[in-house]
Amino acid sequence: MVIQVKNVNKSFKQEDGDILHVLDNINLDIKDREFICLLGPSGCGKTTLLRIIAGLDEPDSGEVNDSAGLIKGPSRDRGFIFQQYSLFPWMTVLDNVVFGLNMCYPDKKEENLESAKRYLQRVGLEDFQNSYPYQLSGGMKQRVAIIRSLLNHTPVQLMDEPFSALDMQTRHTLQEQLIGVWKRFDTTIVFVTHDVDEAVFLADKVVVMDKNPGRVKDIVSIDLERPRKRESTEFLKIQEEVMESLGVHDME
Amino acid sequence: MNKKKIIIPILLPVIVLIFWYAITDGLGLITPYVLPGPIEVCQSAFTAIINGKLLKDTIDTLFKVFLGLILASIVAIPLGVVLGSSETLEDLCSVVISILRPIPPVAWIPFSILWFGIGTVPAVFIIFMGCVFPILVYTLDGVKRTPKVLVEAAQTLGANRWNVLRRIILPSAVPYIVSGLKVGVSIALMCTISAEMIGSSSGLGYLILTSTNLFDTGTTVVGMLTIGIIGIIFDYMFRKVQDQIFW
Repeated sequence: MVIQVKNVNKSFKQEDGDILHVLDNINLDIKDREFICLLGPSGCGKTTLLRIIAGLDEPDSGEVNDSAGLIKGPSRDRGFIFQQYSLFPWMTVLDNVVFGLNMCYPDKKEENLESAKRYLQRVGLEDFQNSYPYQLSGGMKQRVAIIRSLLNHTPVQLMDEPFSALDMQTRHTLQEQLIGVWKRFDTTIVFVTHDVDEAVFLADKVVVMDKNPGRVKDIVSIDLERPRKRESTEFLKIQEEVMESLGVHDME
Repeated sequence: MNKKKIIIPILLPVIVLIFWYAITDGLGLITPYVLPGPIEVCQSAFTAIINGKLLKDTIDTLFKVFLGLILASIVAIPLGVVLGSSETLEDLCSVVISILRPIPPVAWIPFSILWFGIGTVPAVFIIFMGCVFPILVYTLDGVKRTPKVLVEAAQTLGANRWNVLRRIILPSAVPYIVSGLKVGVSIALMCTISAEMIGSSSGLGYLILTSTNLFDTGTTVVGMLTIGIIGIIFDYMFRKVQDQIFW
């Protein structure tokens, strides 16, 4: 067990003074090297749950533990890929990618730079290492953000709808690449999405969430072999199953 | 199109120059003491350049401007970064800053003379008082506008508080800090001239004041135009720097 979510509750006070119960008694166990998707309609608290796991937000009650114990704040043990672009705009791609390593090993700047360069070369981004983020396309920015986080050799990667702003073709390519790096880096991934197709394509386990209040409705395990084929009958069957448990008519 | 771009901005200065020449040197409608004509101004400029007075006073003024600006930046930029990242500290200092900020820097002239006498130091003090608040406020604003996602990204990549401040918040605030410095420079120039007219014995402000007292108003105009040219150069320099900032 790398992440254990126990009885987590979270409410927000809205502008009109009403209390919005975003997360209602969430319990979730995430195993080592698992690929988990948190799936649900907007407002179901999936992003809030992910931020609490990262330590970026605090639960009102309950706790989240990782292998090192209680999670008290953000740390390099849990990488986070944001929905918005999060590359540092004044740094080149190379400087962005090496940032985490330099934070961790400030005395090994040379070696850090070498391993960042080596990795960019391996994923075919070496031509862009001196580019600045504003010169990259949206898909490229998210690729760099993912590489930046992976290079820290973080045991857990938390991803908050990283591909939602991309066109379908780019999204599919990045999904395939993500499966590749997930295997290569031996990491655990918790991936938030509202897209059923994306969840079924990526996940070992889809955690289906409901809103008002946000809670875990169902957990669907997916045993399909990878690479998964979207046209296959098994894929479509599981997709159907997930949609049913989501209660598609409730979706916005 | 391009020709138009060059001719139109020059048109008005040429008309002003002709009009100026006409009412002074040309038709002699105004006595040179009240308003010297362009020819007299050119003669004064020539003299001031040849005897080295103009260069000496310009350097003197610029030295004070830079010294005041650098001292103000050394105080204001780190203070702005610290206050911008701690709400408690900002609340603690907000009243003091709000009261001191609207006081025009020239209001400090009496105390500056009382404390530092006459010369370079009181002028630098006044420039400091004039520049420190705009730079502080711009820095504070820039720090507070740092996108939250960048700070959180750095934290999840393992950056501690100090590294977040130095590697994320400070560079993110740079465009605002540069704007603050730009405002600071024009205030510094203003403060310097005022300070030199009262508590000083050198610089362009002193040149303007003393030449008028000696009925040498040609030199007065030379001093004023020099300040204008310095302003243009600063403005150009800042525009070049701002072009380099792409975030």
